[in-house]
Amino acid sequence: MAIENKKGWISWFNPIKYGFDRWLFAMHRFTGIVIGLYLMAHVFETSNILRGPLTWNNVMVFLDWPFGIHFGPYILSALLLVVVFHALNGLRLTIVENGLMLVRPYRPEYPYKPKSLAGWNFALKIVLGILMIVISVFGIVYIFTGVIL
Amino acid sequence: MRESKIMLLQYLTGLFILVLGTFHMLLLSVLAPTSNKVLYQYASTNHTLIGGTLYYSTVTAIYHTLLWGSIFELLLTFLVFHIFNGFRIILSEQFPGAKAEKVITYSMLILGLVIFIWGSRTIVLMLLQGGI
Repeated sequence: MAIENKKGWISWFNPIKYGFDRWLFAMHRFTGIVIGLYLMAHVFETSNILRGPLTWNNVMVFLDWPFGIHFGPYILSALLLVVVFHALNGLRLTIVENGLMLVRPYRPEYPYKPKSLAGWNFALKIVLGILMIVISVFGIVYIFTGVIL
Repeated sequence: MRESKIMLLQYLTGLFILVLGTFHMLLLSVLAPTSNKVLYQYASTNHTLIGGTLYYSTVTAIYHTLLWGSIFELLLTFLVFHIFNGFRIILSEQFPGAKAEKVITYSMLILGLVIFIWGSRTIVLMLLQGGI
Protein backbone atom coordinates (compact mmCIF):
# COMPACT_ATOMS: atom_id res chain seq x y z
CA MET A 1 0.00 0.00 0.00
CA ALA A 2 1.36 3.42 -0.96
CA ILE A 3 2.06 5.79 1.90
CA GLU A 4 0.56 9.24 1.46
CA ASN A 5 1.42 12.57 3.00
CA LYS A 6 -1.83 14.38 2.21
CA LYS A 7 -1.23 17.63 4.09
CA GLY A 8 2.43 18.02 3.10
CA TRP A 9 4.34 21.13 4.18
CA ILE A 10 1.11 23.01 4.97
CA SER A 11 0.78 20.82 8.07
CA TRP A 12 3.98 22.40 9.44
CA PHE A 13 2.09 25.64 10.02
CA ASN A 14 -0.78 24.80 12.33
CA PRO A 15 -0.27 26.83 15.51
CA ILE A 16 -3.90 26.58 16.65
CA LYS A 17 -3.70 22.84 16.99
CA TYR A 18 -0.12 22.46 18.19
CA GLY A 19 1.10 25.68 19.82
CA PHE A 20 4.49 27.39 20.23
CA ASP A 21 6.78 24.37 19.82
CA ARG A 22 5.10 23.60 16.50
CA TRP A 23 5.99 27.13 15.38
CA LEU A 24 9.60 26.54 16.41
CA PHE A 25 9.56 23.31 14.40
CA ALA A 26 8.09 25.05 11.33
CA MET A 27 10.49 27.98 11.59
CA HIS A 28 13.45 25.62 12.01
CA ARG A 29 12.54 23.89 8.75
CA PHE A 30 11.81 27.14 6.93
CA THR A 31 15.08 28.78 8.05
CA GLY A 32 16.97 25.58 7.20
CA ILE A 33 15.67 25.69 3.63
CA VAL A 34 16.55 29.41 3.33
CA ILE A 35 20.10 28.78 4.64
CA GLY A 36 20.51 25.80 2.30
CA LEU A 37 19.51 27.83 -0.74
CA TYR A 38 21.74 30.69 0.44
CA LEU A 39 24.74 28.32 0.81
CA MET A 40 24.39 27.23 -2.82
CA ALA A 41 24.27 30.86 -3.99
CA HIS A 42 27.11 31.80 -1.59
CA VAL A 43 29.44 29.08 -2.92
CA PHE A 44 28.96 30.26 -6.51
CA GLU A 45 29.13 33.96 -5.51
CA THR A 46 32.42 33.58 -3.60
CA SER A 47 34.00 31.65 -6.49
CA ASN A 48 34.13 35.05 -8.25
CA ILE A 49 37.19 35.84 -6.15
CA LEU A 50 39.18 33.67 -8.57
CA ARG A 51 38.32 36.13 -11.36
CA GLY A 52 40.37 38.93 -9.83
CA PRO A 53 39.83 42.19 -7.91
CA LEU A 54 37.71 44.03 -10.47
CA THR A 55 35.09 41.26 -10.78
CA TRP A 56 35.04 40.58 -7.03
CA ASN A 57 34.61 44.21 -6.03
CA ASN A 58 31.91 44.69 -8.70
CA VAL A 59 30.02 41.64 -7.42
CA MET A 60 30.24 42.96 -3.85
CA VAL A 61 28.94 46.39 -4.91
CA PHE A 62 26.11 44.78 -6.91
CA LEU A 63 25.09 42.69 -3.88
CA ASP A 64 25.15 45.81 -1.67
CA TRP A 65 23.29 47.91 -4.27
CA PRO A 66 21.19 45.42 -6.26
CA PHE A 67 19.66 47.22 -9.26
CA GLY A 68 20.85 50.56 -7.89
CA ILE A 69 18.94 50.28 -4.59
CA HIS A 70 20.87 50.13 -1.30
CA PHE A 71 19.28 46.88 -0.16
CA GLY A 72 22.40 44.91 0.93
CA PRO A 73 22.20 45.65 4.70
CA TYR A 74 18.53 44.58 4.80
CA ILE A 75 19.30 41.28 3.05
CA LEU A 76 22.28 40.63 5.37
CA SER A 77 20.20 41.49 8.47
CA ALA A 78 17.41 39.13 7.39
CA LEU A 79 20.00 36.43 6.75
CA LEU A 80 21.57 37.03 10.17
CA LEU A 81 18.17 36.63 11.89
CA VAL A 82 17.53 33.41 9.97
CA VAL A 83 20.98 31.99 10.80
CA VAL A 84 20.89 32.99 14.49
CA PHE A 85 17.40 31.49 14.94
CA HIS A 86 18.35 28.23 13.21
CA ALA A 87 21.64 27.94 15.14
CA LEU A 88 20.20 28.57 18.60
CA ASN A 89 17.03 26.53 18.04
CA GLY A 90 19.24 23.77 16.63
CA LEU A 91 21.30 23.90 19.82
CA ARG A 92 18.09 23.54 21.85
CA LEU A 93 16.97 20.61 19.71
CA THR A 94 20.35 18.90 20.09
CA ILE A 95 20.03 19.20 23.87
CA VAL A 96 16.40 18.12 24.31
CA GLU A 97 16.20 15.51 21.54
CA ASN A 98 19.09 13.71 23.21
CA GLY A 99 17.08 13.55 26.43
CA LEU A 100 18.88 16.32 28.32
CA MET A 101 17.07 19.01 30.36
CA LEU A 102 13.82 17.01 30.29
CA VAL A 103 11.71 15.64 33.15
CA ARG A 104 11.84 11.94 34.03
CA PRO A 105 9.26 9.75 32.23
CA TYR A 106 5.86 9.85 34.00
CA ARG A 107 2.36 8.42 33.66
CA PRO A 108 0.13 10.74 31.55
CA GLU A 109 -2.71 12.12 33.66
CA TYR A 110 -5.58 14.45 32.94
CA PRO A 111 -5.44 17.28 31.68
CA TYR A 112 -2.40 15.81 29.84
CA LYS A 113 -0.26 18.95 29.93
CA PRO A 114 3.23 17.86 28.77
CA LYS A 115 5.67 18.35 31.64
CA SER A 116 8.52 17.96 29.15
CA LEU A 117 7.81 21.47 27.81
CA ALA A 118 8.12 23.08 31.26
CA GLY A 119 11.03 23.33 33.71
CA TRP A 120 14.57 23.33 32.30
CA ASN A 121 13.29 23.02 28.74
CA PHE A 122 11.25 26.20 29.16
CA ALA A 123 14.19 27.99 30.83
CA LEU A 124 16.41 26.96 27.92
CA LYS A 125 13.97 28.56 25.46
CA ILE A 126 13.99 31.81 27.44
CA VAL A 127 17.82 31.93 27.70
CA LEU A 128 18.35 31.13 24.01
CA GLY A 129 15.60 33.60 23.05
CA ILE A 130 17.38 36.39 24.96
CA LEU A 131 20.72 35.34 23.40
CA MET A 132 19.11 35.47 19.96
CA ILE A 133 17.92 39.03 20.54
CA VAL A 134 21.34 40.16 21.86
CA ILE A 135 23.33 38.59 18.98
CA SER A 136 20.86 39.95 16.42
CA VAL A 137 21.08 43.49 17.80
CA PHE A 138 24.91 43.41 17.83
CA GLY A 139 24.96 41.98 14.30
CA ILE A 140 22.42 44.36 12.77
CA VAL A 141 24.10 47.41 14.34
CA TYR A 142 27.40 46.21 12.84
CA ILE A 143 25.90 45.54 9.40
CA PHE A 144 24.31 49.00 9.16
CA THR A 145 27.00 51.11 10.86
CA GLY A 146 30.24 49.10 10.97
CA VAL A 147 30.33 49.73 14.72
CA ILE A 148 31.38 46.72 16.82
CA LEU A 149 29.55 47.04 20.16
CA MET B 1 23.85 3.78 7.20
CA ARG B 2 21.21 3.58 9.93
CA GLU B 3 18.98 6.64 10.36
CA SER B 4 19.96 6.91 14.05
CA LYS B 5 23.65 7.24 13.08
CA ILE B 6 22.83 9.77 10.35
CA MET B 7 20.83 11.80 12.89
CA LEU B 8 23.77 11.68 15.33
CA LEU B 9 25.98 13.05 12.53
CA GLN B 10 23.34 15.73 11.87
CA TYR B 11 23.61 16.88 15.52
CA LEU B 12 27.42 16.73 15.56
CA THR B 13 27.85 18.63 12.28
CA GLY B 14 25.36 21.20 13.59
CA LEU B 15 27.52 21.80 16.67
CA PHE B 16 30.72 22.05 14.59
CA ILE B 17 28.98 24.50 12.22
CA LEU B 18 27.98 26.61 15.23
CA VAL B 19 31.64 26.93 16.30
CA LEU B 20 33.23 27.30 12.84
CA GLY B 21 30.38 29.55 11.61
CA THR B 22 31.03 31.89 14.54
CA PHE B 23 34.67 32.19 13.41
CA HIS B 24 33.43 32.88 9.87
CA MET B 25 31.23 35.74 11.15
CA LEU B 26 34.05 37.13 13.31
CA LEU B 27 36.38 37.08 10.29
CA LEU B 28 33.97 39.42 8.52
CA SER B 29 34.06 41.85 11.43
CA VAL B 30 36.30 41.81 14.53
CA LEU B 31 39.06 39.54 13.15
CA ALA B 32 39.15 41.01 9.61
CA PRO B 33 42.76 41.84 8.62
CA THR B 34 42.02 45.50 7.92
CA SER B 35 42.05 48.65 10.03
CA ASN B 36 38.59 49.71 8.82
CA LYS B 37 36.11 47.10 10.10
CA VAL B 38 33.07 48.22 8.05
CA LEU B 39 31.76 45.72 5.50
CA TYR B 40 31.89 48.18 2.59
CA GLN B 41 34.04 51.31 2.38
CA TYR B 42 33.10 53.38 -0.67
CA ALA B 43 34.80 56.31 -2.39
CA SER B 44 33.08 59.55 -1.40
CA THR B 45 32.01 60.37 -4.96
CA ASN B 46 30.60 57.08 -6.30
CA HIS B 47 29.94 53.40 -5.56
CA THR B 48 33.55 52.33 -6.01
CA LEU B 49 34.74 49.96 -3.30
CA ILE B 50 38.00 51.22 -1.78
CA GLY B 51 38.19 49.20 1.46
CA GLY B 52 36.31 47.33 4.16
CA THR B 53 36.16 43.74 5.29
CA LEU B 54 34.65 42.56 1.97
CA TYR B 55 37.27 44.37 -0.14
CA TYR B 56 39.26 42.07 -2.46
CA SER B 57 42.64 42.37 -0.72
CA THR B 58 41.09 41.84 2.74
CA VAL B 59 39.27 38.70 1.63
CA THR B 60 42.27 37.27 -0.24
CA ALA B 61 44.49 37.88 2.82
CA ILE B 62 42.14 35.53 4.73
CA TYR B 63 41.87 32.95 1.94
CA HIS B 64 45.65 32.74 1.50
CA THR B 65 46.13 31.66 5.13
CA LEU B 66 46.36 27.88 5.62
CA LEU B 67 44.59 28.03 9.00
CA TRP B 68 41.55 29.94 7.69
CA GLY B 69 41.54 27.95 4.43
CA SER B 70 41.38 24.72 6.46
CA ILE B 71 38.62 26.13 8.67
CA PHE B 72 36.59 27.13 5.56
CA GLU B 73 37.07 23.66 4.08
CA LEU B 74 35.90 22.00 7.30
CA LEU B 75 32.95 24.40 7.55
CA LEU B 76 31.98 23.66 3.95
CA THR B 77 32.18 19.88 4.56
CA PHE B 78 29.98 20.03 7.66
CA LEU B 79 27.54 22.47 6.02
CA VAL B 80 27.12 20.36 2.89
CA PHE B 81 26.35 17.25 4.97
CA HIS B 82 24.03 19.08 7.39
CA ILE B 83 22.09 20.96 4.71
CA PHE B 84 21.65 18.21 2.15
CA ASN B 85 20.79 15.65 4.81
CA GLY B 86 18.23 18.17 6.10
CA PHE B 87 16.82 18.56 2.59
CA ARG B 88 16.69 14.76 2.28
CA ILE B 89 14.71 14.44 5.53
CA ILE B 90 12.22 17.17 4.53
CA LEU B 91 11.75 15.83 1.00
CA SER B 92 11.43 12.23 2.21
CA GLU B 93 8.59 13.33 4.48
CA GLN B 94 6.87 15.19 1.66
CA PHE B 95 7.22 12.30 -0.80
CA PRO B 96 7.06 9.09 1.22
CA GLY B 97 7.88 5.67 -0.19
CA ALA B 98 10.98 3.56 -0.79
CA LYS B 99 11.41 4.51 -4.47
CA ALA B 100 10.99 8.23 -3.82
CA GLU B 101 13.43 8.05 -0.91
CA LYS B 102 16.07 6.45 -3.14
CA VAL B 103 15.64 9.14 -5.81
CA ILE B 104 15.78 11.91 -3.18
CA THR B 105 18.87 10.45 -1.44
CA TYR B 106 20.87 10.13 -4.67
CA SER B 107 19.74 13.57 -5.93
CA MET B 108 20.86 15.20 -2.68
CA LEU B 109 24.13 13.27 -2.77
CA ILE B 110 24.92 14.49 -6.31
CA LEU B 111 23.85 18.10 -5.59
CA GLY B 112 25.85 18.08 -2.35
CA LEU B 113 28.94 16.79 -4.14
CA VAL B 114 28.65 19.50 -6.83
CA ILE B 115 28.47 22.24 -4.18
CA PHE B 116 31.29 20.65 -2.16
CA ILE B 117 33.59 20.34 -5.20
CA TRP B 118 32.81 23.89 -6.39
CA GLY B 119 33.42 25.38 -2.96
CA SER B 120 36.57 23.33 -2.35
CA ARG B 121 37.90 24.41 -5.75
CA THR B 122 37.66 28.08 -4.68
CA ILE B 123 39.32 27.41 -1.30
CA VAL B 124 42.16 25.27 -2.72
CA LEU B 125 42.91 27.59 -5.68
CA MET B 126 42.96 30.60 -3.35
CA LEU B 127 45.28 28.76 -0.96
CA LEU B 128 47.59 28.14 -3.90
CA GLN B 129 47.23 31.89 -4.65
CA GLY B 130 45.95 30.98 -8.07
CA GLY B 131 43.09 32.11 -10.22
CA ILE B 132 41.55 31.45 -13.60
